[in-house]
Amino acid sequence: MKNFNDIELLSSYLDGQLNSADSVRLESRISSHPELASALNDLRVARGVLRKLPARKAPRNFTLTRKMVGQKPPLPRSYSIFQFATGFATLLLVFSFAINALSSARTFGAAAPAFGMGGGGGGPAATEAPVAESAPVEEPSLQFAAVPTQTASSPNADDARQLETATAEALMTKEAVAGSEPQDQSSVANDTVIPFSWQVILVIIILISVVAAIAINQNAKRKWQ
Amino acid sequence: MDETALIQSAQNGDLDSFNTLILHYQDSVFHTALRILSDEDLAADATQEAFISAFRSISSFRGGSFKAWMMRTVTNACYDELRRRKRRPTTPLEPETEDGEEIDSPRWLADPNMTPAEKSEADELEHAIQHCLDALPTDFRTAVVLADIQGMDYSEVAIASQVPVGTIKSRLARARLRLRECLRGFEELLPASFRLESESNS
Repeated sequence: MKNFNDIELLSSYLDGQLNSADSVRLESRISSHPELASALNDLRVARGVLRKLPARKAPRNFTLTRKMVGQKPPLPRSYSIFQFATGFATLLLVFSFAINALSSARTFGAAAPAFGMGGGGGGPAATEAPVAESAPVEEPSLQFAAVPTQTASSPNADDARQLETATAEALMTKEAVAGSEPQDQSSVANDTVIPFSWQVILVIIILISVVAAIAINQNAKRKWQ
Repeated sequence: MDETALIQSAQNGDLDSFNTLILHYQDSVFHTALRILSDEDLAADATQEAFISAFRSISSFRGGSFKAWMMRTVTNACYDELRRRKRRPTTPLEPETEDGEEIDSPRWLADPNMTPAEKSEADELEHAIQHCLDALPTDFRTAVVLADIQGMDYSEVAIASQVPVGTIKSRLARARLRLRECLRGFEELLPASFRLESESNS
């Protein structure tokens, strides 16, 4: 009956893994125990047969390509500069659009009660609109009325005072109506905080940077391959 | 070939240096995978996987036997492949009778090319040995392939298998014993020297 410890010792002995003292001890046991000699021979046959196995060559080359290991071509510093320029210009462009949109929204918000814009502002718009519309109609009548008053001012002082008051009111209304239009025009002009030309320049910068970055990338890849 | 310099270059990302190492080791790596997996296509896949994995993790190589480190990588790739195969089982290696009993020496029955009349003795012996290797538990098979087929010493096998040297000693002894038992069934194929020795001792 073979003890597994003996088998392990024999296997190590076969490979020269025992120290000299253990080897000598085992050798003396082997010489006196045929079982151990037989087991040693079995192990030797097994090992010898395995060593007889013909070495098989690789069926092909297993060399790696850069694609296989996911390596990317080394890019020049200019690539990252263009990349940064693209990102930064895009950010500025978006920012400029946002600022312009915000400023125009604020202007319209302020102008809405005066114009009576929007479906919700029906009340005040309805009351103020006739004043604005009637003003041009009243204007000529007042002018026509003013001319005769100047000529006929001397006979009656009360009439003259009434006419002056009426004229002053009419002028105030006229100024109010006339003043609202130029204010609106100036606010429209002030809507574009960032000029359109700047935005065009930003778009051009973005396009140039993108094209340059792509060209650099392609060139680096071509050189790398 | 200055292996240390090539390894250092590869650690710095030089793929050409690593490819030089691959050309040097690919035969032994493939042979190891073939003996563990017993299938050429799977062995080729495992070899390729092992080299890719080795390149990606070469920075973790801290010196010592590069061959042992490489064998550890391919052994892991083979274990992954065996696990995959276990999850998606294909045709059983050991055909059974209608009663569910295993057929003796199935390789010779299942593979008509294995008859001695059609194949040379060398091929038959190789198939016989592979059959016996396949019958071993994976850990035993790996130990015996690395130590006896690749000729690595115990410490290298221990590194490759990531177990202590004592475990390798034990696995080797058991594996050799089982192999010897298995090879008794193919005594006539063994080289004369082995046969005579075994006959004289039996």
